[in-house]
Amino acid sequence: MNPTLFTATGCVRCRIAKNFMQAKRIAYEEHDALAGGKERFGQFYRTHRSSVVRGKEGIEFPVLVDGAVIRQGVAAAAAYLQAGSALDGFIRRGEPAPGWIGGIHLPAGDPAALNDLEALLLFFKNQGLKLRLDTDGRNAHVLEHLRGRGIGDRVVMEIKGPPVLYHILTGGVVDAEEICRSMKAAASFSDRRFETRVAPVVDAAGGLRYLTPEEIAATACWLKEVTGSTKQPYFLRWFDPTACADESFRAAEPLPREALYRHRTAARRHQVFTEIAKDSECG
Amino acid sequence: MTYPSVHPTGATIYDPARCWNGYTVFQAKELGALLIDMNGGEVQLWKELHGMPNRILPGGHLIGSTGERSTAFGSQDGIDLVQVDWDGNVVWRFNRYEFIEDPGETPQWMARQHHDYQREGNPVGYFAPGLEPMTDRGNTMMLSHKNIIHPAICDKPLLDDTIIEVTWEGDVIWEWVCSEHFEELGFREDAKNLLFRNPNWLKSGGGIGDWMHINSMSLLGPNRWFDAGDNRFHPDNIIWCAREANITAIVEKKTGRIAWRLGPNYDETAELRRLGWIIGQHHAHMIPRGLPGEGNVLIFDNGGWAGYGCPNPGSPTGFRNALRDYSRVLEIDPISLKIVWQYTPVEAGLPFPVDANRFYSPFVSSAQRLPNGNTLITEGSGGRLIEVTATHDIVWEYISPYQGKMMNTNMIYRAYRLPYAWVPQVDAPRGRAIERIDAGRFRVPGASPGGAKRVVQVAGVLPYRPDAALCVRTDVGETT
Repeated sequence: MNPTLFTATGCVRCRIAKNFMQAKRIAYEEHDALAGGKERFGQFYRTHRSSVVRGKEGIEFPVLVDGAVIRQGVAAAAAYLQAGSALDGFIRRGEPAPGWIGGIHLPAGDPAALNDLEALLLFFKNQGLKLRLDTDGRNAHVLEHLRGRGIGDRVVMEIKGPPVLYHILTGGVVDAEEICRSMKAAASFSDRRFETRVAPVVDAAGGLRYLTPEEIAATACWLKEVTGSTKQPYFLRWFDPTACADESFRAAEPLPREALYRHRTAARRHQVFTEIAKDSECG
Repeated sequence: MTYPSVHPTGATIYDPARCWNGYTVFQAKELGALLIDMNGGEVQLWKELHGMPNRILPGGHLIGSTGERSTAFGSQDGIDLVQVDWDGNVVWRFNRYEFIEDPGETPQWMARQHHDYQREGNPVGYFAPGLEPMTDRGNTMMLSHKNIIHPAICDKPLLDDTIIEVTWEGDVIWEWVCSEHFEELGFREDAKNLLFRNPNWLKSGGGIGDWMHINSMSLLGPNRWFDAGDNRFHPDNIIWCAREANITAIVEKKTGRIAWRLGPNYDETAELRRLGWIIGQHHAHMIPRGLPGEGNVLIFDNGGWAGYGCPNPGSPTGFRNALRDYSRVLEIDPISLKIVWQYTPVEAGLPFPVDANRFYSPFVSSAQRLPNGNTLITEGSGGRLIEVTATHDIVWEYISPYQGKMMNTNMIYRAYRLPYAWVPQVDAPRGRAIERIDAGRFRVPGASPGGAKRVVQVAGVLPYRPDAALCVRTDVGETT
C-alpha cells in the first residue's frame, strides 16, 4: 500500500515533500487536509492525536503515514523516505521558521547513516531551503564532513560547560578532543552561535547546584582557547527545571534569572560579546 | 532664558540668610567638573573630566567620566564612570558593559553610561539627611545604552536605554532593558505608527533611533507611600523619565515591570488634563526622605518639542508633536497627580503667556530640593542656576561664564548643591551677600546714565492704564 501524505493548501513544505517523493519515484496518496481531504484527515487525527503535534501555528504539515509509521514535518517525512528509521537520531522536530530546515541534531545520530544524511540535506539545499545544524560537540566528524561539503547555513553549538564537567552534564563519556573539533568546525561557519545553558549539576554529595560564574568563565575561556577568538557570539541560557526532560531536575529550585548577570560578567572576561539569550530567541 | 548680547556671568544674586549655603558642582561647558561657592568662587576644577552629571561624594570625591565615545558611532555614550578623589586620582572605575569596536577607533570596553547614575546609600544623588552615598564600597546603578533590533517598535536599529546595577568590584548584577517593556508604555496607535517610521532618527553609526531618550534615573528610597502599604513605591524601585516620549515611570526592581506611569498622554483623565502636558522633561525623581516635600515627584518640565502622535500645524508629521515655549518645575503628588508646588513663568513674575519664554530651557535642566525648602533649579540651556524659596523668591543666581567653542552655548546639564562638610579639604567659605543690582540703572562702561536731559509736558495726555491691551490676548482662560 502506498504511503499517505496529508498536506495543506498552499503549503510550501508539502510541495517540497512531494518533490522529494517524485525525485525518489515513490508513489503516494495525497489528501489536502484543508480542502478535499478534510474529512479523511479529521478521521486520522481523531485516532492518532497523540502522534501529531499541534504547535503555536497549529498542526505542521505535511504528515506522512506509512502503515504504522507517522512522520510529521517535511524533514522527518523526507528522512524516513530516505533511510527508514536510520536518520531518526539526526532529525528532530523543530519549530519551522520560514525558509529554514531546523531540528538537524548532529550529536544523537548514527554516524553510519552519514551518507543518507548528506543526501537528504543536499536535497533540501537544492530546494532553496537553509539548513540549521545543532550540535553539542559529539559526532564531531559529522559536522566536519558537512562543513567540508558546504552543507549548513547556520550552526548552533551548545557547549554544556567546562571540560571537567562535560561528562556529568551530558550524562556519558565524552571525548574532550571531539568537543574541541566541533568548536573549531562551528567557528568556521560565518553564521554561528555558541550557547551554554546554566544548568544544574549533581555535586559529589548528590546535591543539586547550578553552574557557577567561574565555571561559565572556564567554558568561555575554553571556547577562546580552542577557536583563538574572544569575539565568538556566545550566549547564556536560563535553565527552566519545569521544562526539563530529566525528572530528577524538575523539582529543582530555579536559578533567579538576574543571577545570570554575574555569569555573563564572568564569561565576558574571555568572550567579550557574551549575552543572555532571551527565551524567545531560537536556541 | 533670553539674554542680551552683553550680560553678567558668575554669581549675580546671593542672599546668605535665605539660601541653603553650600558648594555647587556642575559640568562647565568644554572645561571640566567645576566646584563653586555661593559667591561663584571657583573652589576646584577637575580639568576636562567629563560628567553627565558630575556629583560630589562625601570626602571631596567626584564622580564623572574620562570621555565620550566618538559621536560618529554613538550618542552620549560615556566611555566609563569614574570616582576620583580630591587630587584627581581614580579610586573606582567601571567600563565593562559592552566591548565596542568602532571603525578607526581603538577597540575597548565601554560603560555607555549617559545622563544618570546613583551610588548606594543615597537614592537620588543629592544631599538628604541620613542618606549618605557610599564612597569606598556599595553598588552603583547607572543608565546606559545598548543597540538593539526590536521589530515591534521599528524595523530600523534602535538606541535603547538600559539600567544596570554594578558592584564595587565591577560585576553587572542586574539589568533592565526599556524596549522589553514597550507594551507597558502606553503608546497609542498613532504614536506607535509614527515611532515605527521615525524613532527619533540619529545619524550616528550609520543611523539609529534614539526612541525614548531616558534622561534621568534614581531610586525612590524610603517613602511614605510604601510605608502606607503601596508597593508601587517600594524603596528599591526606580523612577526614570524619557524626553522623547514624555513619559515618567517607576520600574519595579523585583520584576522589571512598570509599576507607575505618567504620560505619554495627558488628556485621558481629569487629573492629567489639570496637570497639563509634560514635554521633554528632565530629572524626574522622588524627593527623598528628610527633605521638605518628601515623597512628591519633582520634575523639570522643559516644554520645547517632544512626543509622538498625530500631526498638527507645529508638527506636520506628528514627530515631536507636543510643543510649548516655556518651562515648568513641578512638584507632584504621585497619587492624586495634583501639583503641590511649582515654579513657572507665572511664579517667576513674568507676564504670561507673552513673556513666558524667559523661563525656558528646551533641553537639559533639573531641580533639587534643599533642606530649608528652597529649590535649586538648573535652567540649563542658558547656563543659569537659581535657588528659589518656597514662595518663589530668587535668593541665589549664577550664570555660567563658560561658553563652548565647539558648541556655542554655556549650557549646564545638571548642577547639584552639596554641604560644605562634604569637602573637608578646604575651609567652608564665609559667603558675602550680593545685593540685587537695579537693572534699570546698571550701565556698562561707555554707556550714558539714565534720565532724560530735558522733560517736556504735553497737555491733555492720559495716564497709562494697567490693563493696556497687547497685540495678543492674555486673558484667554482654559475651559474644561
